[in-house]
Amino acid sequence: MRYDSITEAIGNTPLVRIDPAVHGLRHIDLYAKLEMLNPFGSVKDRAAWNMARAALPGAGERGETVVELSSGNTAKALAVIAGMHGLPFKSVTNRMRIAEVKDLLLLLGAEIEELPGRSECLDPTDTEDPLTLFHQRLNESGGAHLHTDQYFNALNTEAHATGTGPEIVADLDGRAPDWFLACVGTAGSSTGVARALRAHDPAVRVIGLVGEKSDFIPGIRNIDEVHEVGLFDPATYDTIESVGADDAIDGMLTLVRRCGILAGPTGGAAYHGAVRHLQSLDAELTGPVRRTAVFIVCDRVESYLGYVKQRRPELMRRPPARNSVAALSDAEVRAAQVIEVADARKWIAAERPLVIDLRSSFAYAALHIDGSVNIVDELFDELVRGGLPFGKRQPVLLACPVGEQSARYAALLTRMGHPDVRSLAGGIIAWRDAGAPLVRD
Amino acid sequence: MDTGPLYLEPRLAPRLAALLGSPPFLHMLADALGSPLNVLLPDQAAENAEGFRSVYRRHRLGGQVFFAHKANRSRSLVRRLTTADAAVDVASVGELRRALGAGFTADRIMATGPKDPAFLWLAARSGATVNADGPGELEALADLVRRHGLPRPKVLLRLCEFETSGPRMLSRRSRFGTSVKALGPLLDLLDRHRDRVDPIGVAYHLDTTSADEKAIALEGCLRAMDDLRLRGFQPRVVDIGGGFGVSYLAHAAQWDRYTSELAAAVMGRRPPLTRGGHGYGLHAEGGTLRGALSLYPAHRPVAGAGYLDALLSQPAPTLGRALGTLLLESLYDLYTEPGRALADQCGLTLARVLEVRRTDAGPALVRLAMNANDVALEDHGILVDPVLVSREGGPAGPPEPVGVHLMGNLCLEADLITRRTVFLPRLPRVGDLLGFANTAGYCMDFGATHAQQQPLARTVAVRHTGGSWRWCLDEEYWPIEEYGPTSDSGGQA
Repeated sequence: MRYDSITEAIGNTPLVRIDPAVHGLRHIDLYAKLEMLNPFGSVKDRAAWNMARAALPGAGERGETVVELSSGNTAKALAVIAGMHGLPFKSVTNRMRIAEVKDLLLLLGAEIEELPGRSECLDPTDTEDPLTLFHQRLNESGGAHLHTDQYFNALNTEAHATGTGPEIVADLDGRAPDWFLACVGTAGSSTGVARALRAHDPAVRVIGLVGEKSDFIPGIRNIDEVHEVGLFDPATYDTIESVGADDAIDGMLTLVRRCGILAGPTGGAAYHGAVRHLQSLDAELTGPVRRTAVFIVCDRVESYLGYVKQRRPELMRRPPARNSVAALSDAEVRAAQVIEVADARKWIAAERPLVIDLRSSFAYAALHIDGSVNIVDELFDELVRGGLPFGKRQPVLLACPVGEQSARYAALLTRMGHPDVRSLAGGIIAWRDAGAPLVRD
Repeated sequence: MDTGPLYLEPRLAPRLAALLGSPPFLHMLADALGSPLNVLLPDQAAENAEGFRSVYRRHRLGGQVFFAHKANRSRSLVRRLTTADAAVDVASVGELRRALGAGFTADRIMATGPKDPAFLWLAARSGATVNADGPGELEALADLVRRHGLPRPKVLLRLCEFETSGPRMLSRRSRFGTSVKALGPLLDLLDRHRDRVDPIGVAYHLDTTSADEKAIALEGCLRAMDDLRLRGFQPRVVDIGGGFGVSYLAHAAQWDRYTSELAAAVMGRRPPLTRGGHGYGLHAEGGTLRGALSLYPAHRPVAGAGYLDALLSQPAPTLGRALGTLLLESLYDLYTEPGRALADQCGLTLARVLEVRRTDAGPALVRLAMNANDVALEDHGILVDPVLVSREGGPAGPPEPVGVHLMGNLCLEADLITRRTVFLPRLPRVGDLLGFANTAGYCMDFGATHAQQQPLARTVAVRHTGGSWRWCLDEEYWPIEEYGPTSDSGGQA
């Protein structure tokens, strides 16, 4: 397929049937609408392009900056689109909790402004919450901004009412599905698709999925936050149900491990919410009539590795390293050779051991023992995994802040066969407190 | 819509729970000393300080934990902390005198906040550390030292407006501190006054719950320490202020449910939860919820010492290593100034029920022998239910949840203890007490006034020992076992 511009590749995403052996529904065919296959990586490509397209030429003439309140995918799509049209892009957010997305936005040339947290010493008479101030600044006359306003912009909904929705109907051979399930972020995709499907068949049931209040799933709002969204209208949904972060990750694991769909947690939440909602309905169905349900897979898994690792570290388990301080027994650590500051000074003068400072380069640069070598602990840890990083005839003095870490590494090096490695007792702090010299090179 | 009673039950640590579980004792106190009445548990403050110390130990950090005296003006908390592993942060000459009089030596006192000449003089004279706001204050201090031949005071430089690379973090502008961009001129000034003031480090205090903002400030301080060292100073203290927070509620689910229902009420989808439909910062506009909830996040999964632990474990934004590790390996001591978090669970405020009036429409009105200034929960946006402390001997009917409005004793329409409809397990009776739990941090006496000649609350210190409660007037409290008359009236220091 040949295109003149990447933006032409937005939309017309595949509708893929989930293997019934995976979801276990007997009478319902479950389809995933793979919005993750849009060119910039998410369902937001449609809204971003639809909101910006008509305004771009004018914005270019006036030298405006594209501005959006976004914590992720909309910002990503707008950053790309703005860049293609030679415009700067700024994302303002208090919700950007995914480090990878932040880095990607910076790579794309976006500017990010993060709104401050809640006040600790609250003044309830202060009505100037950061969001209000943001809107005031945008509305100031002479401000050179193209504010796409995804939470209130009807063009967001329209992108799905004219695109995503009709595509689903066409792929189901001209029929609307019996159920449509989507996570609610800006409410643009769920509202737009629901509108198109209902126009085709008023009987379609629409289920909105929101995050559990005490939890955080990227890209989904919780039941309170959806009320702050201009496009959100409770009447759009037959039911609103909530999904927890653990459920979202479980759903995501099913999609990535068993369905070949490399979905992010939002897609996982939609899958989990869909199967949970449909299970009891499926059990009541009898006879040969097949029903259909469609859910949206909003974006891809790669940006969320840190998010998953933090919540479910066991999913990324690694085999234990061969030479690791974690494998040492308490007895081995206690048996490590330690040397008091006064003796260490004499030893350094007499035998010139290699002095290794395990602190960060920042701390080392400020002050250190004269002649010492800085190998930060993380790096040292990797070095010793492969074997002794210096010869056995070279005596070594290890130093860390308080002498605990250095004792562990001394024990490890001893176990690895080094005959004379010692740990500075009490660390650099004891060295300083004893009045021994520290230098800055 | 949720039609059940929307409770916001307070989180109660064992001491405070035991106190509220002793109605005869509380009624005896209120009968003798009147309503409102503040009741403090000084031993809890010492336990809280130990909680912070244990975080220091876990991160192998030295330094001090300063109780921000401004959170509570009582004597007993400060006196009790003299015998704990804690120090005190004073924000006025009066607080400084209190701290010295309580037995704190100057090495355990830090002077913060806006300072008048008397405050600066007494701080320098006594040898307290001065947390300096900016060049003006340093000049004034150096001048005082020169003119009066004072000992060279230790100073911390309070910094603000830390710069970030990458994403720009917006922070509320503070009226305190010197911008890090102006650190150069500040160091020039210190250079000129090298023999008059001794800069031992740098400080920040941010008014935010966001740990990310604080991480940026802490890293900024580490870099500023380097600048001090390059100028030939030997700094060794990084002071990260307070703002570690308190979790006021026992149950996250109650808070989640309450705030959802509050939003629904503002949207008109359920009857109001407040007198006059007040929205605590929220309002409805064309079917959409606008504004921001101006309430303290009353249930916080991580607060106090736990928050400090999380902050120290967080990686520095650009240096990458954990902030606590960077402090340790840079050989710096950590100073903190918790106020609210050290006063957590340290006391309650009692109020007598004077009148219960049923109304035709809406919740019953319960009038209390206190006013809104006596318990500043609402002023600080903290929503938490009072605990009903029944008077003994009344008929114990079956509990029947009820929503009430709490009225104060001022002749003023606005004198509501809270604008919220408060749900109680049963309707209070005249003579009952309501116990507002956990008011010791900023909510006990911060705004109390003599308006309309209504009495100010008396304050007592209590402790449970030998199977019974013992109490004394706050000003008579000393952290020693003996109670009863002492030779010093205690009120003069």
